[in-house]
Amino acid sequence: MDWKCQIESIGVKIPGSRLTTSELMVKFKTPCIKKFGLLTGISERKICSTGEDSFSLATEAAKNCLSHSKYRADELGMIINCSITKYKDGLSHLYEPSFSTLIRNNIGASRAITFDISNACAGMLTGVYLAEKFIRQGIIKTCMIVSGEYISNLCDHAINNITTSLSSEISSLTLGDCGAAAIIERTADEKKGLIISGFTTLSKYSDLCTGRQNRNAPGGKMRTKAKKIHQAAISESAPIVKEALKKCSLSLNDIKWLIPHQTSRSSIISGANHYLNCFGEKPEQIVITLKETGNTASTTHFLALYKYLSEKQFSEDDNVMLLCFASGLIIGVVIFKMNEMVYRYGSTN
Amino acid sequence: MGAQIKMVSVAQPRFGFHHVNSIRLSARAASQCLADAHIDSCDIGLLVNTGIYRYKNTGEPAIAALIQKTMGNNRTIIKDPDNHKNTFSFDLNNGGCGMLTAIEIVQGSVSSGEIAYGMVVTGDSEPFYRLSKEFTFNSAAAAIILEGSGKSNGFSMFRTYSYPEYSGEFVSSTFFNNEGWHGKGRNILNVMQKESYSDVCVDCAVKSLVNFLNETGKRLDDIDLIIPSQSPLGFTDKLKKRVGMNGNFIEIKKTGNMVFHTAGPLFALKQVWDDHRFKGSKNIIFLTIGSGINVSLALYQN
Repeated sequence: MDWKCQIESIGVKIPGSRLTTSELMVKFKTPCIKKFGLLTGISERKICSTGEDSFSLATEAAKNCLSHSKYRADELGMIINCSITKYKDGLSHLYEPSFSTLIRNNIGASRAITFDISNACAGMLTGVYLAEKFIRQGIIKTCMIVSGEYISNLCDHAINNITTSLSSEISSLTLGDCGAAAIIERTADEKKGLIISGFTTLSKYSDLCTGRQNRNAPGGKMRTKAKKIHQAAISESAPIVKEALKKCSLSLNDIKWLIPHQTSRSSIISGANHYLNCFGEKPEQIVITLKETGNTASTTHFLALYKYLSEKQFSEDDNVMLLCFASGLIIGVVIFKMNEMVYRYGSTN
Repeated sequence: MGAQIKMVSVAQPRFGFHHVNSIRLSARAASQCLADAHIDSCDIGLLVNTGIYRYKNTGEPAIAALIQKTMGNNRTIIKDPDNHKNTFSFDLNNGGCGMLTAIEIVQGSVSSGEIAYGMVVTGDSEPFYRLSKEFTFNSAAAAIILEGSGKSNGFSMFRTYSYPEYSGEFVSSTFFNNEGWHGKGRNILNVMQKESYSDVCVDCAVKSLVNFLNETGKRLDDIDLIIPSQSPLGFTDKLKKRVGMNGNFIEIKKTGNMVFHTAGPLFALKQVWDDHRFKGSKNIIFLTIGSGINVSLALYQN
């Protein structure tokens, strides 16, 4: 039998410290960037405080997710960790064992199969794609996808290297830390199931955004050709979105909430305008949540979902589209109908 | 429909160099695999990279995307709107078991008819030259292509067994050494392996193999070949003695203390693929072991 799956619960862990954009700008020895907050729409980002790292964020997000779930940890069939950064005990990068194995041990998910994936900012949605495959084949009934991103350390490298507003490290200043987790479960309800379509890697653009470990300093660094990657992502994604909508017999007008990858306010708005020109229609709401958290890499979509669930903005049966753009260049579309999860989050007051 | 192996290829550094770019090495194995299978790179629907020790510890994009680019799969949607071939690629890390986990994912997509061909590539090399402690893994890469079998032959069963009580036996991570070269600090990769690790691996592998045989309903005598992980050092020797399968237990020749890590099982597969023992065997077990400790097994039937 071919099973369907749905998102059962979501959890996040927002780190303890915050760094405002004005505090960040003060760190530059010579002011070279103007109106950064206005252009990106980011007024602050949450960053790890002492004792927090990718692993602790991921673990706490997993626990938070379980607290909203009907499942116990030992009922999970699989755990997939999807973070780009794998920092444990500060800025020590862990190669082996996998993060997911340690998260399993930490939360007591004794029966879960574990593995890590890495697919830049598309990590968690790639996790959804894989969870759906395993559930559809009947191998597992539940899967937790989890990610912890400690990427604010890239800011430190950028501050020392940016000398003009055209620097390739400007994008590093948008980054904030976060942990997120979601449980995907098997469902027999065809209407509530996830529709996953259009995951593709256009490797021609793979050199437009690269991140790697520093040789001489703790943490990493990232270089982005922001304008080029934005143009490629927007123009290449339109046919993929069109195909995904066609597959589920929907138009863009039928989408109540479009949650794009949270990079910057100006790029999201210009992307929305491009879609309006291409489709001649637009989704009812485009979600932008980066004002207080910045770009949190692979966790952005689930952080946005959690925020809107907590604010009780969603209604049952709303059509939601998650759209990811990630270095690679990876374009992915996930469409689903919001389920009864809306009643389990936020205060009724 | 099942999923069967179409081709396997391996790559090692040329001219005896040890340190190489793991991405280029993996791309070389992948390109060779495509050429040997007479398949165009754009026909690969799913590409998964499972190498752990990556060139300069690249975090993004996924190494799989860089391999995809190097092997010539550079399609764009805007410029080739009539080309409906689609490739999706990502990295998967699961220690020494990653390769088999990725094969399970690709097998699912191939056997459902979602894609025609899927590829798993794996490759390791020292991330930064001479910036590691106790790094005893050969620079090596391997690639495998899976296709639909049309019958029930091919991969038929996958299982993973976990032994969390041994998660501290093998840990590899970086640490920042302030007293680096010329007063500059350096990120150093430190591979910490307890002396008992290979013995523990053998115990876990034997337990898992027994459970797996019970689940498949087969006896050890029914198994024609076992293709195991080639690390840690001494693992294959000890396991071979415990299991009692000499000729049908595939080992790669060792070079000193260096071992093949994630590419090890594919190097062993390549050996029996080339001497036609693989195609002449009916029941084959892939047995991989990785830190955690996780043991993944798969049954392949010709």
